[in-house]
Formats: sequence, structure tokens, C-alpha cells
Amino acid sequence: MLVMAIPAFLRGPTDPTVTGPHVITSWKLGPLTINLTETVVLEWIVVAFILGLAFFLTRNLRVRGVSKRQAVAEMAVEAITNLVRDTMGRRWLWFTPYIAAVFCFSIFGSLISLFGVRAVTSDFSVLLSWAAVTFLVITWTKIRYGGIGGYLKGFADPMPVMLPINILSEVATPAAMALRHFGNIAGGGIIMMLVYYGLANASHMIGLDIAIFDVGIPAVLSLYFDLFSDFMQAFIFIMLTMVFVSNAGPAEEEASAS
Amino acid sequence: MGIISASVWAADLNLPFLSIDTGTILFTLINLAILVFGLKHFLFKPVNDILAQRQTAVDKSLTEAEQAKAEAEATKAEYAEKLTAAKEESAEMLRKATRRAQERSDEIVAAAKAEAAAVMQQNEAELEREKRRAASELRAEVSGLAVMVAEKVVEREINPADHARLIDEFIDSVGDVQ
Repeated sequence: MLVMAIPAFLRGPTDPTVTGPHVITSWKLGPLTINLTETVVLEWIVVAFILGLAFFLTRNLRVRGVSKRQAVAEMAVEAITNLVRDTMGRRWLWFTPYIAAVFCFSIFGSLISLFGVRAVTSDFSVLLSWAAVTFLVITWTKIRYGGIGGYLKGFADPMPVMLPINILSEVATPAAMALRHFGNIAGGGIIMMLVYYGLANASHMIGLDIAIFDVGIPAVLSLYFDLFSDFMQAFIFIMLTMVFVSNAGPAEEEASAS
Repeated sequence: MGIISASVWAADLNLPFLSIDTGTILFTLINLAILVFGLKHFLFKPVNDILAQRQTAVDKSLTEAEQAKAEAEATKAEYAEKLTAAKEESAEMLRKATRRAQERSDEIVAAAKAEAAAVMQQNEAELEREKRRAASELRAEVSGLAVMVAEKVVEREINPADHARLIDEFIDSVGDVQ
């Protein structure tokens, strides 16, 4: 069994299949089926890792004689706080932890694919959840600053015939965000899978039973599809969230804030 | 049978590649909430607290430094003032001392001069007296001597009138000498 398993592993991927996340277990909750998928378990790992990192970085904080760990923690907090302040304005500073959470969740959720598992962010439901939160905050902001009447009237702007288009554009915002992120990460994952598959086949074609081409060569592409793309998508996602949410409120604000 | 049925093991089941799954959405939202509050509690709160503390400390030391600087300037001004006053005072003292010394030396010189003058005067008076006494003694002696010399020279009696006249003439001429 073991003797067979090792050559199978060394032969490289032979049957690339594109599927969604594996369902580990599921419950029937009335009419609903609640699935516990691979994605959710990986999310737990990611969340535990991020919180563990945050916990680790903020041990023994001092006002003076800052340790390297503390410097990293302070830099991270200040960087994300400045980003939120510059993009959204001072009155949205309370929103910083959410932005930081989505950013970390996205980055580490994508990077976890480096360990050979599915990226958390290659599951559309995950991105849809985050985008839904963005959508809710946008709607809440519009109602908060414009009143429920102003919010509803906004759909008939500039004229009532625009109503369907306005509704569509309202829904398109989170849908586009979710699809963009999902498409980039999941697509990158598929490309990498195909690259591994193709290089394994190439190895077999020149008569090697071991997928020797899979060593090293895909790493070059991985730099883009796994590292750069993961970072970019996380950044784009939080930037879009910040821009859409802060645009939902009145444009000016420096006057009231300062 | 409850609302939640027994867990179904679905080892071979994979969701479609592009799927919207209620369970995943639910769990993701819960995880996101946990992450948001976790980060807020474990990262943002402690770090922001420390940053605020540092800001307070920096503000405090800046204020203290400003105070210290103001104090130092005040002290410096005070010292400069004191120094000027002290210089003036010392110059004044020096002037006074010089004047007093001058006065004193003038006094001393004047006293010395007066004393010297008194001594001179006394000496002169004494000298005068001595001279007179010597002169009168000399006169007496000379007159005796003159008579004796005259007697010896003339060896003769001259008339008393000539005698007296000669003596007087001689005494006068001797007296003129002095």
C-alpha cells in the first residue's frame, strides 16, 4: 500500500478535476441543508492563525523600549488605520477592524493554498458573504445619512424609469466584488493545477515516471498567481469596500470631522 | 426527530465549482465576526492603547521640556540681571574705595607735610637760638680776645676813648660777619 502510494504521489497529478469544496458533513435544519465544507474548516485554521498572530504580536506591549514584535504590530495597526483614514475619512475610523479583518482573512485565506489545500477564497460563498456585509454597510450608510425615504428615492434617481437599472447597479456592486475576487483566486488555482498537470505529463512524455518538471518550474508562475494575485485581490477588495461605503455617505466630511 | 437531523457523512460529495452554499455563508459570517472582534480585542485595542499612552507621554515630556526651557530662560535673565547689578555695585565700590584711598593719601600727605613743616620750623627756631647764643658767646669771647690781642699788639696804653671806639668797631665788623 505504502509502496504503491509513493510512486503515485511522485508521478504528479494525473486527473485534474475542477470542483467546489468538499462537503465534510451536513445537517438538515428544517428545509435548509447546512453543509460543513472544507472551506469552513480552513477558515477556522485561518482565523485561529490570524488571531494567534495578533495575540502573539501584542504580548508585553511597552510605551518605551519597543520589541520587534511590538514594532510589527504597531506598524500593521498604523498602516491599516492610515489607509482607512485616507480613503474613508476620520469618521469611519471605527470601521478599521472590519477592513483589517477582511484584508487578513482574504490574504491568509488565499495564501493557505500554498500548503496544497483549496484556497478559502476560491469558494464563491465566502466572497459573497464578505460582499454581502459590504452591501449591508453601504445600505445602512445610505439610510443613516439620507433617511429611509431618501434611500428609496435614490432608486428613482434621476427619473423613475431608471428604477430597474438602479436596483441592478446596487446589487452589481457586491456581486462584482465577490466575482472578481473569486475569479482571480479560483482561476489562478486552476491555472496552477493545469501547469502542474501539464508539466507532469511532459515529464511522462520524455519517459520519466517521476514528475520532475513539477519541481521548481511552477514556483515562478506561483509568484504571480499565488503571492501577487492574493495580495492584490485582498487589497482591491478592501479598497472597493472602503470606497463604496464612504461614497454611500455625504461626500464632504473633513469640515465636520476636523 | 428534532429539527436538526443526524449528521450525514458525505465523503464523496463536492459542491459545484461556482456554488452558493447557505452553510458556508453562515459559517463564514460567523468566522468573520469572530475575526473582527478578535482583531479588535487582541490587536487594535492593546496597540492603540499603547500608542495613545505614548502620545500622552510624548505630549507630557514636550510640555515639561517647554516648561523647563521657560524656567531656564527666566533663570538666565535673572542671573544676567544680577550680574549686571553686581558689576555696577563692584564698580561703585571700587570708585568709592579709590576715592577714599585718594582722600586718605591726601590726608596723610598733608599731615606729613604739616608735620615736616612744623619740625622744620622748630629746627629753624632752635638753630636760630643756637646761632644767637653762639654769636653772643662768640662776641663775649671775641671782645675779651680782642682786648687781649690789642693789648698784646699795642703793648701800650691808649686812651680809653680810642680803646672803646676800637672795640666797638671791631665788634661791629665781627657782628657783620655773622
